[in-house]
Amino acid sequence: MIWVIVGLLILLAALGAPLFAILGAIALIGFHMAGQEGIAVAVEFYRLSDMPALIAIPLFTLAGYILAESKTPQRLVRLTNALVGWLPGGLAIVAVLACTLFTAFTGATGVTIIALGAVLYPALRQAHYGEKFSLGLLTASGSLGLLLVPSMPLILYGVVAQQFQTTPPVSIDALFKAGVLPCLLMVVMLGAYSAWHVRNVARPQAAPRGELMAATKDAAWEIPLPFVILIGIYSGKLAASEAAAATALYVLIVTVLIRREIKLAELPRVIRHAMVLVGGILVILGFSLALTNWLIDAEVPEKLFQFLRTHIPESNPFLFLLALNLFLLVFGMLLEGFPAIILLVPLVLPVAVRYGIDPVHLGIIFLANLQLGIFLPPLGINLYIASARFRQPVMTLVRAAVPFFLIMLAATLIITYWPGLSLWLAR
Amino acid sequence: MTPAFQRNLARLHRFEDWVLTLLVLVMVVLAGAQIVLRNFFDSGFPWAEPVLRALVLWSAMLGAVIATRDDQHIGLDFIARFAGGTALRVARFVALAFAAALCGAMAWYSWALVQLDREGHTEGVIGIPAWMLELILPVGFGLMALRFLIRSVLPAKAHETLPETGA
Repeated sequence: MIWVIVGLLILLAALGAPLFAILGAIALIGFHMAGQEGIAVAVEFYRLSDMPALIAIPLFTLAGYILAESKTPQRLVRLTNALVGWLPGGLAIVAVLACTLFTAFTGATGVTIIALGAVLYPALRQAHYGEKFSLGLLTASGSLGLLLVPSMPLILYGVVAQQFQTTPPVSIDALFKAGVLPCLLMVVMLGAYSAWHVRNVARPQAAPRGELMAATKDAAWEIPLPFVILIGIYSGKLAASEAAAATALYVLIVTVLIRREIKLAELPRVIRHAMVLVGGILVILGFSLALTNWLIDAEVPEKLFQFLRTHIPESNPFLFLLALNLFLLVFGMLLEGFPAIILLVPLVLPVAVRYGIDPVHLGIIFLANLQLGIFLPPLGINLYIASARFRQPVMTLVRAAVPFFLIMLAATLIITYWPGLSLWLAR
Repeated sequence: MTPAFQRNLARLHRFEDWVLTLLVLVMVVLAGAQIVLRNFFDSGFPWAEPVLRALVLWSAMLGAVIATRDDQHIGLDFIARFAGGTALRVARFVALAFAAALCGAMAWYSWALVQLDREGHTEGVIGIPAWMLELILPVGFGLMALRFLIRSVLPAKAHETLPETGA
């Protein structure tokens, strides 16, 4: 009987049923079999309104969407270009840095490819960078930045992980601190490879004198933003949710009232775009709250651990991490970032803790792998987004992305097996 | 669908958009004001915290309702790359009718929750009884059930791409 239901739900998911409906059905059936009424699922779902950290998600997402629709992407590219564009491979480094900062803010890697790709792709081609190189670079760079404050997937990991009350605890601030060095590692490795790859392309002329000044002035309203968030959070003055509130209000006022790059009449559309994403994620989270309690009551993670232990001894966390990497890559490709976090963290976190892995480090491992999965062939969603954006066949993008994929894979392995890199700033 | 039905549906859409905009703007301004008050004036509204948390749930539910009408819910979508024509339409009907049924069940159960807290006079925040705050659950799931039913017989909407930002 139970296997018929499981098979049916898997079939429904494959047919394209929304993920939250699948989870809701599992929760209703699970509660029913445990002798509880359906109303208990509604009570669990309602816990969504009882999580103080959650507000950071809609606020940062809204800020990111407003920035994406303003002229901030162009100003960001101009400023980074004035700063590092004169280096060998400068424009490629510009692409990596701009994409990283932008994804950190929107948390949506596809949005970065669409918004920044429009500015960067023509610029890269104009600077005589190869077509294949440019395509691969932008497809890969889109997912950089998920590890950097105030990335929304990182917040989501924290919110989900906090339910487990692990020792040491998973605070969102700790995750933000832990993500910095791993993100830097990825940026440096991609940047170095790019600079090496285009070593034969003529170096661009140094920007005209005064360009740096002009670009800085141009972006004067945006420049304080990362500093306020970084200093606020790293000094402990602002909690993540407070930083989100300050950012959202600031971005709203600057973009709509001061710069007027989004007209008041367009604001409902931008808000709707952002909230459709947030709503879609939070209904999944709501049902997963119900499921998580059920999983814990049924001791599913414990059983999973006991089963795994027969294959991977506790004394060998490296082997466990290797299996985890493979598992996360495949699920990251199938599910994209957000649902993968909501679904997998409740299963993986308790098991990983038993293998002695720090839950904050686990969060960084999660996101590093999801970054890769997002453009892993054949189903990684960003390959398709980039294919639509740059009007190229998917196969071209797959081939173009391979070297970048391998570099980020190497970075992910370093991040996975070197906990100190993540934990040095966080603990 | 009759023209009158479609007109009312369009009216409902606009209403949802405006309520969502309003809720989100209140959320941003209230949360922002709270930070300013706390950090510069050492004060703040004690009721702001629970109200903000309720606003998150309300705006998220409305976002999910709108996601339903725009075919934007998160799910596996590779079937559209492998199947087409009648097979795809059947798959879509089955998947979305199932989602409609689930939302209907959730609307039913959360309505029961509202009733329970109404009879028990459960307290919410700042004098608003809990059942009023919970109302968004049956309303939201009910609207989603209706939308999934409508969408299940209609072809998929092309994903609205982000408007070109400049360039």
